[in-house]
Amino acid sequence: MSSFRVTQNQSHPNKTNTLMLGIIMLLIGILSIQIWLLYSALNNALDENQDLAIAAFIGSLLLFFTGLWLLKYLPDARGRFLKKELSENKYK
Amino acid sequence: MAYEPKEKNPPNWKGDFPIRQDEATHVTRREFAKFLCLLSGGLALGNGYVVLSSFAYPDKELEGEHLVCNTSEVPVGGMTMFAIKGTKEIPYILIHLAEGEWRAFEQKCTHLSCAVVYRDEVKKIECPCHNGWFSADTGEVLQGPPPRALPQLSVVVRNEKVYVTAFKDTIS
Ligand code: FES
Repeated sequence: MSSFRVTQNQSHPNKTNTLMLGIIMLLIGILSIQIWLLYSALNNALDENQDLAIAAFIGSLLLFFTGLWLLKYLPDARGRFLKKELSENKYK
Repeated sequence: MAYEPKEKNPPNWKGDFPIRQDEATHVTRREFAKFLCLLSGGLALGNGYVVLSSFAYPDKELEGEHLVCNTSEVPVGGMTMFAIKGTKEIPYILIHLAEGEWRAFEQKCTHLSCAVVYRDEVKKIECPCHNGWFSADTGEVLQGPPPRALPQLSVVVRNEKVYVTAFKDTIS
Protein backbone atom coordinates (compact mmCIF):
# COMPACT_ATOMS: atom_id res chain seq x y z
CA MET A 1 0.00 0.00 0.00
CA SER A 2 1.27 3.43 -0.83
CA SER A 3 2.25 5.76 1.95
CA PHE A 4 -0.42 8.15 0.75
CA ARG A 5 -3.10 6.03 2.46
CA VAL A 6 -1.08 5.81 5.63
CA THR A 7 -0.61 9.54 5.98
CA GLN A 8 -4.24 10.09 5.05
CA ASN A 9 -5.35 7.74 7.77
CA GLN A 10 -3.01 9.26 10.29
CA SER A 11 -4.02 12.83 9.67
CA HIS A 12 -7.76 12.09 9.55
CA PRO A 13 -8.39 9.45 12.15
CA ASN A 14 -12.10 10.24 12.11
CA LYS A 15 -12.52 9.62 8.43
CA THR A 16 -14.00 6.14 8.61
CA ASN A 17 -16.31 7.27 11.36
CA THR A 18 -17.73 10.01 9.17
CA LEU A 19 -17.98 7.69 6.21
CA MET A 20 -19.85 5.13 8.25
CA LEU A 21 -22.24 7.72 9.58
CA GLY A 22 -22.87 9.05 6.10
CA ILE A 23 -23.61 5.60 4.68
CA ILE A 24 -25.93 4.68 7.53
CA MET A 25 -27.77 7.97 7.14
CA LEU A 26 -28.19 7.41 3.42
CA LEU A 27 -29.46 3.88 4.04
CA ILE A 28 -31.97 5.14 6.58
CA GLY A 29 -33.11 7.73 4.06
CA ILE A 30 -33.53 5.02 1.42
CA LEU A 31 -35.53 2.91 3.84
CA SER A 32 -37.85 5.79 4.69
CA ILE A 33 -38.58 6.43 1.04
CA GLN A 34 -39.24 2.73 0.52
CA ILE A 35 -41.68 2.60 3.43
CA TRP A 36 -43.51 5.55 1.95
CA LEU A 37 -43.56 3.87 -1.47
CA LEU A 38 -44.92 0.64 -0.03
CA TYR A 39 -47.58 2.54 1.85
CA SER A 40 -48.79 4.39 -1.21
CA ALA A 41 -48.62 1.27 -3.37
CA LEU A 42 -50.80 -0.63 -0.91
CA ASN A 43 -53.28 2.17 -0.61
CA ASN A 44 -53.55 2.62 -4.35
CA ALA A 45 -53.66 -1.07 -5.21
CA LEU A 46 -56.71 -1.27 -2.96
CA ASP A 47 -58.19 1.45 -5.12
CA GLU A 48 -57.36 -0.61 -8.23
CA ASN A 49 -54.59 1.72 -9.29
CA GLN A 50 -52.03 -0.87 -10.38
CA ASP A 51 -49.81 1.46 -12.37
CA LEU A 52 -48.74 3.18 -9.22
CA ALA A 53 -47.99 -0.15 -7.57
CA ILE A 54 -45.67 -1.07 -10.45
CA ALA A 55 -43.93 2.30 -10.41
CA ALA A 56 -43.46 2.04 -6.66
CA PHE A 57 -42.02 -1.46 -7.02
CA ILE A 58 -39.49 -0.36 -9.64
CA GLY A 59 -38.55 2.65 -7.54
CA SER A 60 -38.15 0.49 -4.46
CA LEU A 61 -35.98 -2.00 -6.32
CA LEU A 62 -33.72 0.76 -7.66
CA LEU A 63 -33.36 2.17 -4.16
CA PHE A 64 -32.41 -1.27 -2.88
CA PHE A 65 -29.68 -1.59 -5.49
CA THR A 66 -28.45 1.86 -4.56
CA GLY A 67 -28.21 0.64 -0.99
CA LEU A 68 -26.29 -2.45 -2.07
CA TRP A 69 -23.90 -0.33 -4.07
CA LEU A 70 -23.37 1.93 -1.06
CA LEU A 71 -22.22 -1.08 0.97
CA LYS A 72 -19.18 -1.22 -1.29
CA TYR A 73 -17.95 1.90 0.45
CA LEU A 74 -18.27 0.56 3.97
CA PRO A 75 -14.98 1.16 5.75
CA ASP A 76 -13.04 -1.94 6.73
CA ALA A 77 -13.58 -3.43 10.13
CA ARG A 78 -11.33 -2.35 12.99
CA GLY A 79 -9.18 -0.14 10.79
CA ARG A 80 -7.27 -3.17 9.64
CA PHE A 81 -5.13 -1.30 7.18
CA LEU A 82 -4.32 1.37 9.66
CA LYS A 83 -3.11 -1.18 12.21
CA LYS A 84 -1.19 -3.14 9.68
CA GLU A 85 0.58 -0.14 8.30
CA LEU A 86 1.40 1.22 11.70
CA SER A 87 3.02 -2.04 12.73
CA GLU A 88 4.92 -2.11 9.49
CA ASN A 89 6.17 1.36 10.19
CA LYS A 90 7.57 0.28 13.50
CA TYR A 91 10.41 -1.54 11.80
CA LYS A 92 11.34 1.25 9.52
CA MET B 1 -4.02 -16.82 28.16
CA ALA B 2 -4.50 -14.03 25.71
CA TYR B 3 -6.46 -14.77 22.58
CA GLU B 4 -4.35 -14.77 19.47
CA PRO B 5 -6.11 -14.82 16.13
CA LYS B 6 -4.64 -17.48 13.87
CA GLU B 7 -4.72 -15.27 10.82
CA LYS B 8 -3.16 -11.86 10.93
CA ASN B 9 -5.52 -10.44 8.33
CA PRO B 10 -8.77 -12.35 8.37
CA PRO B 11 -11.17 -11.73 5.46
CA ASN B 12 -13.89 -9.14 5.98
CA TRP B 13 -16.64 -11.61 6.66
CA LYS B 14 -14.67 -13.12 9.52
CA GLY B 15 -14.19 -9.69 10.93
CA ASP B 16 -17.93 -9.12 10.73
CA PHE B 17 -18.77 -12.23 12.69
CA PRO B 18 -16.06 -12.44 15.33
CA ILE B 19 -15.97 -15.16 17.93
CA ARG B 20 -15.26 -12.90 20.85
CA GLN B 21 -17.83 -10.52 22.24
CA ASP B 22 -15.51 -7.54 22.66
CA GLU B 23 -14.46 -7.72 19.04
CA ALA B 24 -18.08 -7.66 17.97
CA THR B 25 -18.53 -4.19 19.39
CA HIS B 26 -16.21 -2.82 16.76
CA VAL B 27 -18.16 -4.07 13.82
CA THR B 28 -21.74 -3.51 14.78
CA ARG B 29 -22.05 -0.45 12.61
CA ARG B 30 -20.98 -2.45 9.58
CA GLU B 31 -23.52 -5.07 10.45
CA PHE B 32 -26.12 -2.43 11.08
CA ALA B 33 -25.55 -0.94 7.65
CA LYS B 34 -25.86 -4.39 6.08
CA PHE B 35 -28.99 -5.04 8.06
CA LEU B 36 -30.49 -1.78 6.81
CA CYS B 37 -29.74 -2.92 3.30
CA LEU B 38 -31.40 -6.26 3.98
CA LEU B 39 -34.49 -4.46 5.25
CA SER B 40 -34.48 -2.36 2.13
CA GLY B 41 -34.45 -5.53 0.03
CA GLY B 42 -37.35 -6.83 2.07
CA LEU B 43 -39.36 -3.70 1.42
CA ALA B 44 -38.65 -3.96 -2.30
CA LEU B 45 -39.87 -7.56 -2.19
CA GLY B 46 -42.98 -6.50 -0.34
CA ASN B 47 -43.66 -3.93 -2.99
CA GLY B 48 -43.27 -6.62 -5.62
CA TYR B 49 -45.75 -8.75 -3.75
CA VAL B 50 -48.30 -5.94 -3.81
CA VAL B 51 -47.94 -5.74 -7.59
CA LEU B 52 -48.17 -9.52 -8.02
CA SER B 53 -51.19 -9.94 -5.82
CA SER B 54 -53.02 -7.06 -7.44
CA PHE B 55 -52.51 -8.72 -10.83
CA ALA B 56 -52.99 -12.31 -9.79
CA TYR B 57 -56.15 -11.79 -7.78
CA PRO B 58 -58.04 -8.86 -9.21
CA ASP B 59 -61.24 -8.12 -7.36
CA LYS B 60 -63.90 -10.24 -8.95
CA GLU B 61 -67.20 -8.66 -9.84
CA LEU B 62 -70.09 -10.19 -8.02
CA GLU B 63 -72.00 -12.44 -10.37
CA GLY B 64 -75.73 -12.87 -10.44
CA GLU B 65 -78.27 -11.86 -7.88
CA HIS B 66 -78.11 -12.85 -4.27
CA LEU B 67 -81.06 -13.04 -1.97
CA VAL B 68 -80.60 -11.06 1.23
CA CYS B 69 -83.91 -11.10 3.06
CA ASN B 70 -87.59 -10.27 2.84
CA THR B 71 -88.51 -6.59 2.66
CA SER B 72 -90.60 -6.95 5.82
CA GLU B 73 -87.54 -7.90 7.84
CA VAL B 74 -85.92 -4.47 7.70
CA PRO B 75 -88.07 -1.48 8.69
CA VAL B 76 -87.54 1.97 7.15
CA GLY B 77 -84.46 3.45 8.75
CA GLY B 78 -83.22 0.03 9.71
CA MET B 79 -80.12 -1.86 8.82
CA THR B 80 -79.19 -5.49 8.56
CA MET B 81 -75.96 -7.31 7.96
CA PHE B 82 -75.32 -10.07 5.49
CA ALA B 83 -72.50 -11.86 3.73
CA ILE B 84 -72.30 -13.47 0.34
CA LYS B 85 -70.79 -16.91 0.25
CA GLY B 86 -67.80 -17.07 -1.99
CA THR B 87 -64.06 -17.49 -1.97
CA LYS B 88 -63.65 -14.69 0.53
CA GLU B 89 -66.54 -13.69 2.63
CA ILE B 90 -67.06 -9.96 2.75
CA PRO B 91 -69.50 -8.55 5.28
CA TYR B 92 -72.10 -6.17 3.89
CA ILE B 93 -74.77 -3.96 5.34
CA LEU B 94 -78.20 -3.42 3.85
CA ILE B 95 -79.89 -0.13 4.66
CA HIS B 96 -83.55 0.68 4.25
CA LEU B 97 -83.10 4.41 3.63
CA ALA B 98 -86.69 5.34 2.88
CA GLU B 99 -89.81 3.64 1.57
CA GLY B 100 -88.59 1.61 -1.40
CA GLU B 101 -85.03 3.00 -1.14
CA TRP B 102 -82.40 0.44 -0.36
CA ARG B 103 -78.65 0.62 -0.23
CA ALA B 104 -76.00 -2.04 0.24
CA PHE B 105 -72.39 -1.31 1.18
CA GLU B 106 -69.38 -3.23 2.34
CA GLN B 107 -69.23 -3.13 6.08
CA LYS B 108 -65.48 -2.77 6.30
CA CYS B 109 -64.37 0.81 6.79
CA THR B 110 -61.85 1.80 4.15
CA HIS B 111 -59.63 3.25 6.84
CA LEU B 112 -58.68 0.33 9.08
CA SER B 113 -61.49 -2.12 8.41
CA CYS B 114 -63.68 -1.44 11.42
CA ALA B 115 -67.34 -2.37 11.04
CA VAL B 116 -69.46 0.61 10.02
CA VAL B 117 -73.05 1.14 11.17
CA TYR B 118 -75.97 3.13 9.82
CA ARG B 119 -77.18 5.97 12.04
CA ASP B 120 -80.75 6.78 11.20
CA GLU B 121 -80.84 9.94 13.35
CA VAL B 122 -78.42 11.68 10.98
CA LYS B 123 -79.01 9.48 7.92
CA LYS B 124 -75.30 8.72 7.63
CA ILE B 125 -73.03 5.75 8.04
CA GLU B 126 -70.67 5.97 10.97
CA CYS B 127 -67.39 4.27 11.64
CA PRO B 128 -67.05 4.38 15.42
CA CYS B 129 -63.35 3.63 15.49
CA HIS B 130 -61.97 6.98 14.39
CA ASN B 131 -65.13 9.00 13.89
CA GLY B 132 -65.38 8.46 10.15
CA TRP B 133 -68.64 9.27 8.37
CA PHE B 134 -69.96 8.11 5.00
CA SER B 135 -72.92 9.19 2.95
CA ALA B 136 -75.69 6.62 3.29
CA ASP B 137 -76.77 7.48 -0.23
CA THR B 138 -73.56 6.98 -2.19
CA GLY B 139 -71.05 5.64 0.33
CA GLU B 140 -68.82 8.66 -0.18
CA VAL B 141 -66.61 9.86 2.65
CA LEU B 142 -68.14 12.85 4.43
CA GLN B 143 -65.69 13.25 7.26
CA GLY B 144 -62.84 11.59 9.05
CA PRO B 145 -59.81 9.51 8.15
CA PRO B 146 -61.21 6.99 5.60
CA PRO B 147 -59.43 7.55 2.28
CA ARG B 148 -62.00 5.92 -0.04
CA ALA B 149 -65.73 5.55 -0.40
CA LEU B 150 -67.39 2.36 0.81
CA PRO B 151 -67.74 -0.19 -2.00
CA GLN B 152 -71.38 -0.44 -2.99
CA LEU B 153 -73.77 -3.11 -4.30
CA SER B 154 -76.92 -2.53 -6.28
CA VAL B 155 -80.15 -3.56 -4.61
CA VAL B 156 -83.10 -5.02 -6.48
CA VAL B 157 -86.45 -5.55 -4.82
CA ARG B 158 -88.72 -8.11 -6.41
CA ASN B 159 -91.70 -9.98 -4.98
CA GLU B 160 -91.14 -8.61 -1.49
CA LYS B 161 -87.62 -9.94 -1.52
CA VAL B 162 -84.36 -8.00 -1.51
CA TYR B 163 -81.58 -9.05 -3.85
CA VAL B 164 -78.13 -7.55 -4.39
CA THR B 165 -76.06 -7.50 -7.57
CA ALA B 166 -72.77 -5.95 -8.61
CA PHE B 167 -72.96 -2.19 -8.50
CA LYS B 168 -73.71 -0.34 -11.70
CA ASP B 169 -73.75 3.42 -11.91
CA THR B 170 -77.15 3.47 -13.56
CA ILE B 171 -79.34 2.09 -10.85
CA SER B 172 -82.24 0.21 -12.36
S1 FES C 1 -61.39 2.34 10.84
FE1 FES C 1 -63.05 3.54 10.22
S2 FES C 1 -62.39 5.51 10.64
FE2 FES C 1 -60.67 4.34 11.21
